[in-house]
Amino acid sequence: MGDYALLYILFAPFVGAIALIFVSNRQAMLVRGIAAGSALVSLLASLYLFYAYDHVKGGFQFVQRFEWSRQLGISFHLGVDGIGTPLVLASGILLFAGIFVSWHIKDRMKEFYIWLLILAAATIGVFMSLDLFFLFFFYELSVIPMYLLLGMWGSHTKKYNEMTDPEGLKQRDSVGFIFNFGANSKEYAAMKLVLFLSAFAVAALMGILLIYKYSGLNTFDILVLREQAKLMNIPVLGTTLDKIIWLLIFFGFASIAPLWPLHSWSPVGHAAAPAATSMLHAGVLMKLGHFSIIRVAFEILPETTRELMPIAAVLCMFSMVYGGLVAFYAKDTKYVIGYSSSSHMGYVFLGMAALDYISLTGAVMYMFAHAMATGMLFAMAGWVYDQTHSRDIPSLGGLSNRMPFISGCFVVACMASIGVPGTLNFIAEVMIIVGSWNKYPFQVIVAVVGIVLTLAYLFKMMRGLFYGPMDQKYSHAHDAVAVVDRLPLLIMITVSIGFFFFPMHLYDVVRSGVDPLIAKITRVVPVAALDRESSHVNHETTSPTGATSAPLLAINPAPRTPHAVRGLE
Amino acid sequence: MIFALPMSPSDLLLLLPEILLTSWLCLILIIDFSFPRLPNEQLGYFSIAGLVATLGCLAWFDITGITGSLFANMFVLDRMALYFKMFIAGSTILVILASIDYIHRFKFFRGEYYFLIMMSSLGMMFMASANDLLSVFVALEFSTVGFYVLVAYLREDTASNEAGIKFFILGIFAAGLLAYGISLVYGETGKLVFSDMRAAQATPGLAIGFLLIFGALGFKIGAVPFHSWIPDTYHGSPTPVTAFLSVAPKGAAFAILLRMFFVALATFKPIWTLLLVAVSILSMTYGNIVAIAQKNMKRLLAYSGIAQIGNVLIGLAAGTKMGSDAMLFYLLTYLFANLGAFAIIIAVSEAIGSEEIDDYSGLGRRSPFLAFSMLIFLLSLAGVPPLAGFIGKLYIFVAAMKEGLYMLITVGLINIVISMYYYLIVVKKMYISEPHDPSPLKVSGPIKVVIYVCLAGTLAVGVYPQPVTDWVVSAILMFSNLADPTASLPVLPAVILFGG
Repeated sequence: MGDYALLYILFAPFVGAIALIFVSNRQAMLVRGIAAGSALVSLLASLYLFYAYDHVKGGFQFVQRFEWSRQLGISFHLGVDGIGTPLVLASGILLFAGIFVSWHIKDRMKEFYIWLLILAAATIGVFMSLDLFFLFFFYELSVIPMYLLLGMWGSHTKKYNEMTDPEGLKQRDSVGFIFNFGANSKEYAAMKLVLFLSAFAVAALMGILLIYKYSGLNTFDILVLREQAKLMNIPVLGTTLDKIIWLLIFFGFASIAPLWPLHSWSPVGHAAAPAATSMLHAGVLMKLGHFSIIRVAFEILPETTRELMPIAAVLCMFSMVYGGLVAFYAKDTKYVIGYSSSSHMGYVFLGMAALDYISLTGAVMYMFAHAMATGMLFAMAGWVYDQTHSRDIPSLGGLSNRMPFISGCFVVACMASIGVPGTLNFIAEVMIIVGSWNKYPFQVIVAVVGIVLTLAYLFKMMRGLFYGPMDQKYSHAHDAVAVVDRLPLLIMITVSIGFFFFPMHLYDVVRSGVDPLIAKITRVVPVAALDRESSHVNHETTSPTGATSAPLLAINPAPRTPHAVRGLE
Repeated sequence: MIFALPMSPSDLLLLLPEILLTSWLCLILIIDFSFPRLPNEQLGYFSIAGLVATLGCLAWFDITGITGSLFANMFVLDRMALYFKMFIAGSTILVILASIDYIHRFKFFRGEYYFLIMMSSLGMMFMASANDLLSVFVALEFSTVGFYVLVAYLREDTASNEAGIKFFILGIFAAGLLAYGISLVYGETGKLVFSDMRAAQATPGLAIGFLLIFGALGFKIGAVPFHSWIPDTYHGSPTPVTAFLSVAPKGAAFAILLRMFFVALATFKPIWTLLLVAVSILSMTYGNIVAIAQKNMKRLLAYSGIAQIGNVLIGLAAGTKMGSDAMLFYLLTYLFANLGAFAIIIAVSEAIGSEEIDDYSGLGRRSPFLAFSMLIFLLSLAGVPPLAGFIGKLYIFVAAMKEGLYMLITVGLINIVISMYYYLIVVKKMYISEPHDPSPLKVSGPIKVVIYVCLAGTLAVGVYPQPVTDWVVSAILMFSNLADPTASLPVLPAVILFGG
């Protein structure tokens, strides 16, 4: 273990996928066993990583570096900081849970697990890449498995199935394609997802290539670029180059996040995807966007980030409210959860936009918390769909009689998603709200309204699915009884609740990644760090203007020197 | 020009690969005549043996560094020529392997088929070494004559005949352009060897002459606006010939283009960059947009091939050593992906007798191996990691970025997204649509070998490209002894920045 932890986490799913090629689909248990085994290796290694990460030292740890292409200046450079570590852990947990959620897939199970493992490995790869080339490499690699997973094992929406027109299949498709009133085929969803993400990915690639050219360093290494790249004040097309690069990178990666005007692929994709894919998609794939913005734009262009990040503060309001409103009126369970995810991603953008120690820490913790909450919701929506073959909320109801365990877990998942005290989401939401209050009070008000909206649509869905009268045609529906069916939900619930009671390690780890970043961007050193040096007072002031934070934040951060830029140690 | 050539027997060593191939050609004809009852497969394997020997000889030259020039610089054997010769010999081997199970479709002259393929291959090897406008003309026509016959080899198929006629008429026209261009250039400069033209003055005659030569070579690589023969010819030809036509001649023609632009016209770089930028943008955009509407796999790959050539031209337009390295790299990734895709088309058409995209429905259930390989090849053509095509595209974009060709890169990046669409349409048919007929497909041994080789190449180069990049960088070393083309120039006109 030890130094090679990142390699185990990254390559265990790949090795599992390759091993699966040589297994026959008839040996179902062997197929599941290999998939679960490789996911378990990855999960255990990421747990080790999370707890072995030294937050006092901070910086990039577990660094691996291999020369990959001299001519292009690319090295296979892996390493995690406080921001990547929890996200790697979240991917590990969701992959492991996703294997069990899709335990009962019948059709081409082996292929399903192969693509699921590749998808998870690619996302994990982004979280640990320290080379722009490999960051993009893994980012693109995660898109194609999504196409196949959606297309081969996904499902059409209800309206699409209702538009039965045996002879005019073509017309049905074209209606779905052009107007897309929640009526689309899985093929449409898959193609839309891939084209949308690729189109914005090439914008990000253009930004990366511009950084490569204008830094003149002949390297894609983020650690070198952030120290040495001089990209400021180069006039281009009536503005400056760094702004163009920043916008390309921001919007290129924000499309997967998904920020408001770029979100339309996401709910469509969620609705079409099989349960485990939705979990990974909403749980970690969307966080690739935030993470890549932090890793590329924040690290390499800190000055421009300070200047242009208000864009995100404006757009995130639309994300929160629009997503919440659509989720309230949507009738398809997966649409509700999908739009709720894109609404909740607005909170992360708010936390990032405020460029504050507490709010950015909250944003990263929220990514982790949201991965668990939305993972649970999608897993259970998938279970309900498998049992009833329906995702239409009005036609469902009263299922708590048939599936008490699922309905119980669903209540917990809703609570987590809303951010009720007792779940990690609460801590993260409070940190975002407190941290960004000074800079963006209006957005914070909108965010609170968004929480109320979340409450409304999740309770509406919960009532629609599990309470009220039950249609007799669902009387054959089963609860999750077997261990393999309950295990993924229990894992995610435990993590979500457990980190509420023991958040300190998570907080310290994230904070150790956030501190140098914010110090570099805002050029303001947290007051606590200065205090400690002089008088050892153990309280922390959060923002440049000196507002004291909520009691939650009266905690003992480990001593660190945020303004000293941490490199490879 | 003096033809008193100082030549020693040891100089003939440089011609050893060609001599080997020529004698093998004759041997094949003799064997074919003498043993009419010999099974065709054996003749195929025999010709492969000859090509493998040639390839080995080329590799030996490359490793030991045997280079030089012959016939007053008409024929050069530098490491770039060796690279392209290996490219051509390698693709010929794969094409012949892929033909072995296809050849039963020819009613007559099965033995001559191998002869003609190898003859074209020989002509292209001379193209890779041609350093003189006369040898360019002779080698180019020599290789094309073989193709005229090969394209129309399915004698009873009207599509094949149409393809042959179309290719022949347009090919002859291109040959005429080439000859006229050469005569103009010779008239203006009095020189035929590329390296002697460096001091040439820019005159209208010279410009027209080189434009005509570029047109003829553009016909060969199938760049817009010289592409009109491609779809019908690709569609009508026997599939192995299409595969051959889509890869090898492009490599050979790019060798000539590299020598022409980088050696003869090095001082006019700002001007030809504009030309290449225009041709590249047109090729990529036209190829990709028209490919969306295709219903036939061969036509789809024909149009996608036009777009791929547009990508290669980005590297040429960059006009630097890195750009040409990237071109060589890209062509290799294109070889693996394109030949692999055509091998699958052959396998599928042997099994179900159709090349329509619609008949690929449910291939993922009928033959997981073929479907998975096709997925890999198409995604490599589209440029998706971790496949070779992604690295190739990135290499080319980085090279062009260093030269500041922003518009070209932007168009190239947008085209990646467009191309993703039609490649995924095929993927959708193969994996998502249900099969019309669920019976499993059988794949013959030789085709499997071709597919395995191309798969290994696509994956290995994509995962670890360092050996290949080292190889292409050393192959282009010959240009590094030239002065930097831009260094001797006066200040570049502002139009180049705008146009790029």
